[in-house]
Amino acid sequence: MSIQAARDVSTSYSQPSGRKGKFFTAKRIGTPILIVVALSALLAFLYLRGEPDSIEGFALNWEYQLARIDEHIRISIAAALLVAAIAIPLGIMASRTKSKFVRGFITGFANVGQATPAIGVIILLALIIGIGWTTAIIALVLYGMLPVLRNTMAGLAQIDPFVVESAKGMGMTPLQILFRIELPLAVPVILAGFRTTLVFSVGVATIATFINAGGMGETIVVGLKLSRPAVLLTGAVVVSCIALLMDWVAGLIEDILRPKGV
Amino acid sequence: MPNSNTTSGASIELLNVTKQYPNQDQAAVENFSMKINPGELIMLVGPSGCGKTTTMKMINRIIEPTSGSITIDGEDVLSLDQNTLRRRIGYVIQQIGLFPHMTIAENVSVVPKLLGWSKEKTAARVEELLSVVELDPKTFLNRYPKQLSGGQQQRVGVARALAADPPVMLMDEPFGATDPITREKLQAEFLRLQESIGKTIVFVTHDFDEAIKLGDRIAVLGPKSKIEQFDTPAKILANPASTYVSSFIGEGAALKRLALLLVGNTKMGAASKAHAKAGTVKVSDNLREALDRIVLAGGNTIGVQDASGAAVGSLSIEQISEALGADVSALGK
Amino acid sequence: MLGKYDLSTIWQFMLDRVDEITELTLEHIGVVLLSLAFASIIGVGIGLLVWNKPVSRSFAVASTGVILTIPSMALLAMMIPVFGLGWVPTVIALSLYSLLPIVRNTVVGLREVSPAVMESATGMGMSKFRVLMQVQFPIAWPVILTGLRVATQLAVGIAAIAAYVAGPGLGEYIFKGLSMLGAIHALNFALVGTLLIVIIALTFDAIFILISRYTTSKGIRA
Repeated sequence: MSIQAARDVSTSYSQPSGRKGKFFTAKRIGTPILIVVALSALLAFLYLRGEPDSIEGFALNWEYQLARIDEHIRISIAAALLVAAIAIPLGIMASRTKSKFVRGFITGFANVGQATPAIGVIILLALIIGIGWTTAIIALVLYGMLPVLRNTMAGLAQIDPFVVESAKGMGMTPLQILFRIELPLAVPVILAGFRTTLVFSVGVATIATFINAGGMGETIVVGLKLSRPAVLLTGAVVVSCIALLMDWVAGLIEDILRPKGV
Repeated sequence: MPNSNTTSGASIELLNVTKQYPNQDQAAVENFSMKINPGELIMLVGPSGCGKTTTMKMINRIIEPTSGSITIDGEDVLSLDQNTLRRRIGYVIQQIGLFPHMTIAENVSVVPKLLGWSKEKTAARVEELLSVVELDPKTFLNRYPKQLSGGQQQRVGVARALAADPPVMLMDEPFGATDPITREKLQAEFLRLQESIGKTIVFVTHDFDEAIKLGDRIAVLGPKSKIEQFDTPAKILANPASTYVSSFIGEGAALKRLALLLVGNTKMGAASKAHAKAGTVKVSDNLREALDRIVLAGGNTIGVQDASGAAVGSLSIEQISEALGADVSALGK
Repeated sequence: MLGKYDLSTIWQFMLDRVDEITELTLEHIGVVLLSLAFASIIGVGIGLLVWNKPVSRSFAVASTGVILTIPSMALLAMMIPVFGLGWVPTVIALSLYSLLPIVRNTVVGLREVSPAVMESATGMGMSKFRVLMQVQFPIAWPVILTGLRVATQLAVGIAAIAAYVAGPGLGEYIFKGLSMLGAIHALNFALVGTLLIVIIALTFDAIFILISRYTTSKGIRA
């Protein structure tokens, strides 16, 4: 790997997981174990400290928690899917342009986007459009676009041009080349970007609580505002486990969908 | 004659050296024994996988021997500190391995600096060495490896190995990564160099012609580095010890031997204008070139000149045959 | 909402609060630099220790990766029962987040040095330590620096959230804007906070690019 290639890989958060052929990496086995251990520890801690007081009881019950978890997962996945639907076609189009201006614009946009704090995007949008679930989704989609867009472009760019040329030489139409050759070859990189977006979404959805979008962030904020560490920790540990679980599942999908031989 | 300014070579002796890798049932090198005299250029030739590189790398302990002893000038290599040992051995590998983040000057200065040489001494040495490998110091001192061609990088590699004036040099296919034209040039320069420095050199190659060209003695190696024959190039060509060695020599053994003999050392006939008109060779040329010239001329004999161009004799196919001790007239037709 | 907003007020807005804005900006830069300092020393140190030990290496990369997967708000929250509010949990959380890019890039950079270079260095009699410091590290430097750059960007963004645990920096303005929902200056607060953070991030990026150019040997600049 040249220095430049390593630099590119290291600049993106998203690189295809695992070495070729290694399905059972430390992370693959370790993550579920970690999740189980963390949740067990949490449950043990809550159980051992006895009955929650009236204020805690509001949050520390199954109904409340499951509702929040459900909200959180819904919003994260919905946003990630929307991102994929928008950013992948956008990325394909962007990688096709010969125009330096468009490419430069997208790169510039990506740089600025990466420099923008998620909380800023959320709150600005809320101030302009109003608080609530829809605003949160829009913010998540805007923020999550970057990894997938960038990785789609990078994934397509790293395909050996001679492979495309020989496909052309065989008489494939551009669309056929795109769907049968280019996209399959770019899948690992694109999926890695999708995985990052998913994890981002879980994280940003946590912040979305500030604009009344629900989710686990609410548990954390309630615990903070009312000085109830137990509630605070519950929220933090559970949402962390959600994030780890999503990352783990996405990693599995990534490995399953990777074309053999790539 | 070795230059009196430089260290002359050390003797090397390997005794029953074996390398056994734990996860393989065959040894890579088995019971290898060899005595190398100071100032000799020894070629280790063999097919890939015969262990020649492994053998060479045990001398500076890049690979540790499983058993056996290796001494340099009588000193047991295995008991020395690795780093101290290696700073006294020049090491050139096929992929060169120049440090990309250092200038050429810095690259060549590495071992002198490790040995604590003064700045002035190091700088002078670097300039001297670059000139020796025919790279103009002014141009190349401050360049970076990526700015040099493959052949130039190879020369820097050799200069770097010579920097601290080690008595022993280990070279693993140092000219392997270049094109044939550059390689020939490098080989010629290397020969010239060895004449003036006289170090003990262990040189690994899979190219038998290179071995003949450069070596004082050649070791033809079989699997596990078994020594099939260890002798001078001329003797191996004249008397291959086994079919294995002959297959190594390949076709044209006689022609290869001719390349080792000089016109000046051959019994010649009288000079004559007629012969000279057909064609000429110099006394410094070898007999293979002479035969080539004769064939081109279409006849049987050509004239011989000395360095200044004066006619000193004539050479015929029969005389060439005599020198070889075999009949080359069939080759001429 | 947008109808009530007048963009021209933003300049006056900033002038009115120039002291406060400067203070928050400096706080923000400060907390990032401090966290980065810790993370660099620890992260590069870990990288130097584990780069050639497969088990430790995958453990180090995996665990710092796990930390990065945890939502920033959650990590900050988990710090509170132990470290309270303010600078301390913020710096600790930011340092922990910054570890992955630094550790991973250090390891990748050190491993990517060509085997031929490694072998000729060892063959010349350089000790393993010397090879690491005088050959591998300088060659890996651009990659390591990129890791530091990515870590800094991360830290600048996450520091914005720290305001909700009474942490330092411009996040305070963003949250202020939220709490003033409906008031005249709500958008100004949030906008100024966000924009300045973006500028800080981009400036750091530019500084890193300059540092990279001036500290990377000419021989390996791509």
